[in-house]
Amino acid sequence: MDTIRLYIRSMGMLLKSQLQYPVSFLMQSLAQLIMEGGEMMALILVLDRFDHLRQWAAGDLFFFFGIMSVTFYLTECFGRGVTGNFPSMVRSGQLDTVLLRPRGVLTQVLCSAVDPRRITCIAVGVAALVMGCRLSQVRWTALKALLFAEAVSFGVMMILGLFLIEAIFCIHSVKSVELVNVLTYGGRSACEYPVSIYPRPLRVLFTAFVPFALVLQLPASFILEKPLFDWPFWTAFLTPLSGAAVFFVIYLFFQRAMRYYRSTGS
Amino acid sequence: MKAYLSVFRLRRRLETQYRGAALGGILCQVFFGLVLIALYRALYAGKPQPMPFSHVATYVWLQQAFFRMLLASDADLMDKIRTGGIAYDLCRPVSLYGFYYARITAQKLVGSLMRAVPMLLFAACLPAGWGIAPPASAGALLWSLLALVLGLACVSALENITMAFTMRTLDFRGVQAMLNMLMMTFSGNILPLTLFPDSWQRVITLLPYAQLLDAPIRLYTGEYGAGDALKVLGIQAGWTALLALAGVLLWRRNQKRIIVQGG
Repeated sequence: MDTIRLYIRSMGMLLKSQLQYPVSFLMQSLAQLIMEGGEMMALILVLDRFDHLRQWAAGDLFFFFGIMSVTFYLTECFGRGVTGNFPSMVRSGQLDTVLLRPRGVLTQVLCSAVDPRRITCIAVGVAALVMGCRLSQVRWTALKALLFAEAVSFGVMMILGLFLIEAIFCIHSVKSVELVNVLTYGGRSACEYPVSIYPRPLRVLFTAFVPFALVLQLPASFILEKPLFDWPFWTAFLTPLSGAAVFFVIYLFFQRAMRYYRSTGS
Repeated sequence: MKAYLSVFRLRRRLETQYRGAALGGILCQVFFGLVLIALYRALYAGKPQPMPFSHVATYVWLQQAFFRMLLASDADLMDKIRTGGIAYDLCRPVSLYGFYYARITAQKLVGSLMRAVPMLLFAACLPAGWGIAPPASAGALLWSLLALVLGLACVSALENITMAFTMRTLDFRGVQAMLNMLMMTFSGNILPLTLFPDSWQRVITLLPYAQLLDAPIRLYTGEYGAGDALKVLGIQAGWTALLALAGVLLWRRNQKRIIVQGG
């Protein structure tokens, strides 16, 4: 409980400090809007030319795109400490100060940064979701809303876990490793579309190892009433837990890596 | 001229030092390329288009291979502008515009060649419909190489303009992200320009962004025939000249009103 209060306090402080420069904040938020809007425009243009993708209609694709954007950018907004700042904390030796304080490393890193500019990207994701619901005529029920919330929260956890992999590499090698982007940004780009359209190796990767399919897409497909796999409805409530599993496994490795942490300090 | 050549050579040496980073970059781009081709294959299966699929696959690979040519902002220069280190460059007995032009061109050329050669070799080994197709003809290859050189000249001129704007605003991230997004969208990196609505294509192929990679790729696949080649090269050369002129003027004005940061 105490940790959560601490997190909320630091978020408040960081937000206040970021909003001290309103023009810069607005400009950067606008840039983010254009960036994510561009991705959405690409999807609209693709649908303009091809109008559907296998069994998925335009509305379904907007919904998949939206749930991925919302989840990914929520992570980047509130997990900025892990998704953005960690490599520079290791390189500059700033992580040492974290080790001196009586709180967990991850807690402190998460409390160290927030990225409110992402709000515009989240807005684009929400717009895509609304468009998707309209076009596919989704009938919302309480159960579906619950499923949606569950999918997004475990999705955030999993993506945070994937960014922790980069942190682990970073502890060992000091440099940030570009290759890990394949799982995070690559996963995002690939899984904006339902995995069923990909050839087997990619399907296996995004179902069994980096389970975007289980955490986000299976629940989304049940909300659209076009199940991704031939599984009963209740399984959609269980599969997002795999996101938590991924997070905890990576977190264990992160803890181990922290024991090997050698300061770069000067 | 000798001074600019040596700037180019120094930059080339620096860029070839980071082979590990290049390898990571290559693997990333290969992954993105495969995902995109898988996606377009699925789309084509539902509704085939008049353009053969091998052209789309070729387009994707060439875009991925030369990705570095589009997006390589000079982090050093950004730092110099922010910290005031640019004052040292002002002391050099060369034109500032030429100095940075040589630097940026070297960075883009070497950075993209280092990545493009292994990636294209890999893409050539993939089965048909996944990999890169051979050029439409020997002539097409020659024209596309020429167009690629002009594309490089054009993108360097474009980046110099971005830098000039950066110098004015100090907080470069907003402006830069926007210009980058324009570049990524209208150069065909996010979605091949050949898949844009046909009515849009008539306009966007004339924009400077289409001159960087889209024009060389279309010459390579034969979508622009030998008859169009001279026209295409003309448009490229025209944009390069125009952008370089605008860049020189902007830099000159900046130099007059520069206020160096820091002490």
